[in-house]
Amino acid sequence: MKIFRHMFIANLKEFIRDKSALFWFLAFPVIFIFIFGMVYSGNGEQVFDIGIVQNFENDFSSQISDSLESVPNFDIHYGNEKEERSALSNGNRSMVIVIPEINLAQIKEGEATNIRLLYDSSNQQSSQILISVIKQIFNEIERKITGRPQLFNINTESIQADNLSSFDFNYILPGILAMALMQLGLFGGLQFLSLREQGIIRGLGVTPLPRVTLLGSEILIRVIMALVQTFVIIFIGMTIFDLKITGNFLYIIALVILGALTFISLGYMIISFASSPESGERMIQVVQFPMMFLSGIFFPITIMPDYIKPVIKAIPLTYLGDALRQTMVGVVPEYTMKTNILVLLSWLIVTLFITIKFWRWD
Amino acid sequence: MNNSIEVNGLKKYYGDLKAVDGIDFSVKEGSIFGMLGPNGAGKTTTIETLIGLKENDGGKVSILGYNPFKESELKEIRKKIGVQLQSPALFPRLTVKEIVSLFASFYPDSLKSETVIEQVGLINKENSQVISLSGGQRHRLAVALAMVSNGEVIFLDEPTTGLDPQARRQLWEVIENLKNNGVTVFLTTHYMDEAEKLCDDLVIIDKGEIIAKGSPDELIDKNFDKKEIENVNVRQASLEDVFLKLTGREIRE
Repeated sequence: MKIFRHMFIANLKEFIRDKSALFWFLAFPVIFIFIFGMVYSGNGEQVFDIGIVQNFENDFSSQISDSLESVPNFDIHYGNEKEERSALSNGNRSMVIVIPEINLAQIKEGEATNIRLLYDSSNQQSSQILISVIKQIFNEIERKITGRPQLFNINTESIQADNLSSFDFNYILPGILAMALMQLGLFGGLQFLSLREQGIIRGLGVTPLPRVTLLGSEILIRVIMALVQTFVIIFIGMTIFDLKITGNFLYIIALVILGALTFISLGYMIISFASSPESGERMIQVVQFPMMFLSGIFFPITIMPDYIKPVIKAIPLTYLGDALRQTMVGVVPEYTMKTNILVLLSWLIVTLFITIKFWRWD
Repeated sequence: MNNSIEVNGLKKYYGDLKAVDGIDFSVKEGSIFGMLGPNGAGKTTTIETLIGLKENDGGKVSILGYNPFKESELKEIRKKIGVQLQSPALFPRLTVKEIVSLFASFYPDSLKSETVIEQVGLINKENSQVISLSGGQRHRLAVALAMVSNGEVIFLDEPTTGLDPQARRQLWEVIENLKNNGVTVFLTTHYMDEAEKLCDDLVIIDKGEIIAKGSPDELIDKNFDKKEIENVNVRQASLEDVFLKLTGREIRE
């Protein structure tokens, strides 16, 4: 135990003083968070520039202006038709509303007034939404003028935070954590290869130090680093990007430890077959990159083509990502929690078994 | 006097290559024993087999009465010996003091790390990380790691290779000091002056076989005649001449 403590402290110092390792394990995931955080922070805050051409002033005109200006996402501009049309074709307007003069006599006779909406046909989707919103606004104005009672009340309620099905920053963040854990784990194998290459494993082999002590302290450091990563990633997500953690922290910690151990074991298994640090690094990369992009940690698995799905279903990162997402932020799960944990445990046990069989100290 | 190390008919083969082919020698307790030989003669293989890093292909070895080829006895041996290998086991980002203390923690009865660091002349480097040390300083650190074990036998594999003359002489003093403290030293070298100055006994090994044994004086006297000049005994040869006579002059690998 005394030896383990000394070995652990020595290993920890070695780890912390390695600036490149710290970059990979802490700075790299944080950079990912900021990149994705910035991409998604624009969502929902979109502002539409609406041009209004209205060459008269009376009760009706002010009623229309007030209604349109009260929409929070509308930025209203007034001008003549020529100016507004050119603004639309320059991309400075999302839509232009041309309103002909309306007077009381017209209204009393029940004569309909034609209102023209000009929009940019290259942006069909948001234009369609805008058209229905504006129609709705004019219906409302009409109702007020005619005094018809409102028969239906539609109340909207957002339940996004509790049950996320859509794809946004809350979806991404647990994925970034899963990616960070994968890297931390797989790099454990590389660290061992480098110790071996430097003759450190061999040199320690002639001392009374049991060599498993060295490995044990290495693994413990990685598990601790995994928890540090988790803390940093969640902390930044919560303080800077409004991340809402809905899950139980103890549950999250248990998952993080299981995930870290699975990938540490996978890393050690891979390097059991490597002859040099260089070949080990290539083998790790071959495993790491496909996992990163096929596991659904950055985009939902459902959008991927069917022929790639067997691969997706085979890789452990898929399950760690899914488990972390449903536990941390309550994303609708792809798999049940039981499946996720069973698959991760199976990976851990199988890779551990193969590692023990093919392990080489020298 | 007892023998700390006894080796009988030790063999180690790599496929067809007979790296060590049936060697016998013994090392007296408290002496400095040297194994000399050109590159590839089998020196490092011998050391690595003796300390249980490699399995033998024949022969018997006893270190402090234990058999290094038995796992349980090897454990006992490791507690009682210190080893400096040619490629030192140094964590690059630990400081000299940290790494010597780490190794000290492995042994039941280690020396104080400060003492050892001072002896190998690294006291003003004790807070430097290994990565910033020169080659010679790393070598001395490796010797310190062997010494801190406070082992009864210290194995040194080419401890002075690559050192400048000052550092070599400083290390010689360290080795002689070990002997004065009753430690048995097994060292390999291909510097004859080093063997001549330090070793009580030595063997010369070539192509896996021992081709000469004895104290430096005995070896010189046996291989070269003495010349008498005005009643003064002058040796016409040094140990280096003995070495070259026995192993030939062509360059090895």
